[in-house]
Amino acid sequence: MSLFQIRSNHSSLAQCAPITEKPGTDRAMRVAIQHARRDKKGLPFAQQQAFDGAIAKLVRAIAVDAQVAEWFAKESLVPLVKRRWKKILLNPVVLAIALALAVIGGIFALRVHQHLRDFPGADKARRLLSVATSIRSVMLDPLQTNAGTLSDLFFMKHRLEHYDIPPEFADFRTLGSRVFDDDAVHSVAQIWVVEKRMQFFLFPAEKNPKDGTVKDFSDWRFVEFEGWTGAVRQRNGVCFMAAMRGSEKDFAPYLEKKKQ
Amino acid sequence: MTGDTGKAQEAFQDTVREAAVRAARDEPPPDRLWFFRDARWRCLGVSEQDIQAEPGMMEEVEISPVAPKQIERLEPDQLAVWISAAPEPQRTALALFYLDEFSLREMLALLEVKAGELSDLISSGRRQFQAWLDATTPYEGE
Repeated sequence: MSLFQIRSNHSSLAQCAPITEKPGTDRAMRVAIQHARRDKKGLPFAQQQAFDGAIAKLVRAIAVDAQVAEWFAKESLVPLVKRRWKKILLNPVVLAIALALAVIGGIFALRVHQHLRDFPGADKARRLLSVATSIRSVMLDPLQTNAGTLSDLFFMKHRLEHYDIPPEFADFRTLGSRVFDDDAVHSVAQIWVVEKRMQFFLFPAEKNPKDGTVKDFSDWRFVEFEGWTGAVRQRNGVCFMAAMRGSEKDFAPYLEKKKQ
Repeated sequence: MTGDTGKAQEAFQDTVREAAVRAARDEPPPDRLWFFRDARWRCLGVSEQDIQAEPGMMEEVEISPVAPKQIERLEPDQLAVWISAAPEPQRTALALFYLDEFSLREMLALLEVKAGELSDLISSGRRQFQAWLDATTPYEGE
């Protein structure tokens, strides 16, 4: 906006300057009045104000019906609408904001829920679940035996200590196994079993960065990734994860069987 | 607005009645401006049969420093008649402006005009009123 336009706007606004000073006058109007008061050219603003004031005084003297005057004073002859909750809630803007807040709240709740359920090593477990989703059985060394016997193999061949299969899964027949290093997880042992095409992973537990200790847990914890679920337990500084397509409920028969 | 108390009262009562009917129908007026907007259209409606002024037909002169003294000598009814004889939307603009009850924003909302247009309506109204004052109540000094 050019200087000329700004001046023109101020002068235009000053023409409608309120006759008496009112609280809550627009900032633009206040600026326009200030400019008009300082302006030496044209009609003096004071003269305009005096003219308007004289007319307004005369207007106030015009006889007005008592009922109208009362209404002007109170403005309460008819109650004004109070915006109802239903109308407010059905307003598209309010609906859109509520929906957006609900989505944000949902994501936040999901994050909190995940965080509460998380355990040391959960990130590693999720990463290995992603390996489980992408790998094919031919990529493993064929090996047909009971899963429980593989802990000796891991120790003898790869020097991996305490890579033990929990009793719940020790009797399952294997299809193949391998030991590999991942970018984020080292010394991972992977076993493919016949039962429901499940995969087992054994990997070093997460150490406390401060003191280097490992806090084992004997109960089963669960992680999820793209329709796969992993049941994880940690003993002797080694995590065992049984991974299969499905949900936490699908592990129930295997985990309850052992309890009985 | 109408230059006639009876007509104005009739328009006002119709507005209040309409508001009451709406309230009974569970659709009360949304804000206080609704009353003024409704009353304005009713006033314009009842004064439609009167002789209507045409825009741009009135003489204009710059407002005089002695105008307040000239105005003091007027009867309130003379002013009411003069305003009611102005063409629309200048008539409503002047009526709302000199009632001194509305903010600029409210006047613009009621009149449905832009700020520049309202400014033109008011400033030309001032000059026309000054011309009329000079013609009817010339200032002859103290």
